Amino acid sequence: MNDARRNKRRVGIAVLVIFAVVAVFVVRLVDIQVVRAAELNTESLSKRSVSQTTYGARGNIVDTNGNVLADSVDRFDITASPLLVDEFERLQKDGKSKVTVTVSDAIAELATATGASVAEITKALTENPKSNFAYVAKSVTLEQLGDVRALKIPWTYDVLHPSRTYPNGAVAGNLVGFIGADGPQNGLERTQNHCVGNVNGSATYERGADGIRIPGSTVTAKEAKDGGTLKLTIDSDLQWYAQQSLAQRAIELGADWGTITVVRVRDGHLMAVADYPSVDPNNVEGVTRYDWGSRAFSSPFEPGSTMKSLTVASLLDAGVIEPLTQVTAPGRRDLGDGQSIKDAWAHADIPYTATGVLTNSSNTGISYLVDKLSDKEKRRDYMLRFGLNEKTAVDFQGESRGDIPATQNWDAVTNYAVQFGQGMTTTSVQMASAYQALGNGGVHVPLTLVEGCEWADGTVTGTPSTESTQVVSASAAAQTVAMMENVVSQGGLSQELSIPGYRVAAKTGTAEVANGNGYGSDRIVSIAGLVPAEAPEYAIVVTFAKPDTMKTSSAVSTTFKKITTQVIKSFRIEPSDEPSPQMPLTW
Amino acid sequence: MSSNLAFATPLRSPRDEQPTRHIEIVSNREQRKSRPRIVYALVTVGGLFALFIAQLLLSIVVSQGAYSIASLQTQQRDLGRQEQALSEQLDLLASPQNLATQAESLGMVLSNTSPVYLRLADGVIVGSASPAGAGETVVAAAGSLVPNSLLGGIPLVTPTVPEATVTEVAGAPETPTAPGSVASNPLALPSPVTR
Repeated sequence: MNDARRNKRRVGIAVLVIFAVVAVFVVRLVDIQVVRAAELNTESLSKRSVSQTTYGARGNIVDTNGNVLADSVDRFDITASPLLVDEFERLQKDGKSKVTVTVSDAIAELATATGASVAEITKALTENPKSNFAYVAKSVTLEQLGDVRALKIPWTYDVLHPSRTYPNGAVAGNLVGFIGADGPQNGLERTQNHCVGNVNGSATYERGADGIRIPGSTVTAKEAKDGGTLKLTIDSDLQWYAQQSLAQRAIELGADWGTITVVRVRDGHLMAVADYPSVDPNNVEGVTRYDWGSRAFSSPFEPGSTMKSLTVASLLDAGVIEPLTQVTAPGRRDLGDGQSIKDAWAHADIPYTATGVLTNSSNTGISYLVDKLSDKEKRRDYMLRFGLNEKTAVDFQGESRGDIPATQNWDAVTNYAVQFGQGMTTTSVQMASAYQALGNGGVHVPLTLVEGCEWADGTVTGTPSTESTQVVSASAAAQTVAMMENVVSQGGLSQELSIPGYRVAAKTGTAEVANGNGYGSDRIVSIAGLVPAEAPEYAIVVTFAKPDTMKTSSAVSTTFKKITTQVIKSFRIEPSDEPSPQMPLTW
Repeated sequence: MSSNLAFATPLRSPRDEQPTRHIEIVSNREQRKSRPRIVYALVTVGGLFALFIAQLLLSIVVSQGAYSIASLQTQQRDLGRQEQALSEQLDLLASPQNLATQAESLGMVLSNTSPVYLRLADGVIVGSASPAGAGETVVAAAGSLVPNSLLGGIPLVTPTVPEATVTEVAGAPETPTAPGSVASNPLALPSPVTR
């Protein structure tokens, strides 16, 4: 009986113990599976899963021929864990023997591989020895990355760092702009960010112990999106030549700044917009911030006599003058109240034809021609139709609209001065755009810098408007161009401007620059022209501001001739069959 | 028949009674009935096994695929990066500043007094050709004024006047030279077949 009782007790205890153990398990199970389920699941997932940034590539900016002006490239940041920095053993090439590499050796090797200095790396690694993260070198190239990886230093890592490079340097740097640490900072990089801008995505996947992705575990939270390719109308070779010859001459002249603008007449495409000084987007700090943009767009100035061609075209269109209309131009014209206008050189009365007035750039002569169209509003209207007093269709960052004062503010002098380019302002590109209309049979087409934005699927967006306006009649435009040819064929700069075998139409301008107290001794000299004159294909405007050594438009002529020659060669313009017709300048 | 009820009922299945019926002819039908049941069971269990094994194999293959996907993706990424690095370098070398500097260091000049060009369509020289002066350089005279900070490390190509090639050609005139191959003789430009 005793045995049976003991047995019973034993069984009872055993059952109790079993129940207790089971109860413990159940409690634990409920705790894990129900109470802390969510928390533990997240924790486990975070151990397996890796969140990854998927990079969309920023779109390239290319010129009209597809040459890359701005390129997205992969760069890599080399990082290290200062906490783990220690000497390590490196397997030799024979695959068996090992050598110990000390920390200082490793730093020296890293310095050689990345181009960073030993001092910098040492500082980064020792500054905060408890830290798990420090930059050894930023933005190293693939080649350098390969060198770093070959060192097999166990405490260094690398991270992708998408970056931007401008293989042509300052060629079109004034237009392309640049990217700073916080994204696009200037130029088309900024204003066309809706085209080239990329969107980085993110994806999460789970990985096994060996780091390999578990199939089917990828969850794309956000799709990465590449930017489109921004195609400019610029021809980078011509742009380079323009910038080089512009800079060379500007330095010779001691000019503050200069611009060259080349516009294709038939569609208003800007083939070159050169600025001096201009920025190398790879090295933004190389110039002051005032040189980061494009003065061709942003700096309005009183253009001077290049404006006379537009005046002549307007008067021809209005039907009030002919190319051979006769005027008598005095050296100085008295306008009453002690006000007068005068020519740039002292002379007695000269019996000029309208062509002679334009060729010799007589201010008094043009004033008598202007008298034939007394309606100020109508004359101002012509200027507006040439695209002055408003931004060009390019709408470049920081573009100026220039200024044509309202007619009620025109006094006796201004009434004439605006017609020869004083008392009003334009930008270089506005002038080029106006000459485009002269060369295009009087049809002004919107100035274009961006051909369009091409997306990965082949669609093109942002194509320019081609809405054109007839500014002056085709015959008025053709007559004006023919009159401008005389500047080159028999004007004072004939020797310097003529190009053998080609007919060129041009107009010089030497404008006085207003300072605080009226006009000083500074000049802005320019030449605007069309080539070939018999059927214009390109409009070219060259401007130098405030030259020191030579203050007349002949300062510009060598550069104008160089760029025109280059335009002829680049775009393979056929020589003219006939020489420029010479019109009588006097009567 | 036994009358001991306490012994039989819970354990006795209908099968226990079968041996008594066994002798009877009717058993054939029972066998016919029960045999297909085993087949069904076997088929079901076998099918399940097959499924398990297939799934196991499949997941082995899939995870094997994961490894090759991972390695191929790495390879694709590396090749893409390599291609990008090379085209980056090419774009830099093709920059006008570099080309002009290199060309002028080789003694080429750019005539900017009289425009002349070769029309490729018919090989006609357009414009009045006049020899360019030795001083008609763009970059050499004034220096490169269009900065490109990336160009620093690119060395100038040196005009190699391959005297060896000249003597070789002179010494072996009977050697047939491939016409138009620049690579075979860097001194001779290919003469284009103008039509």
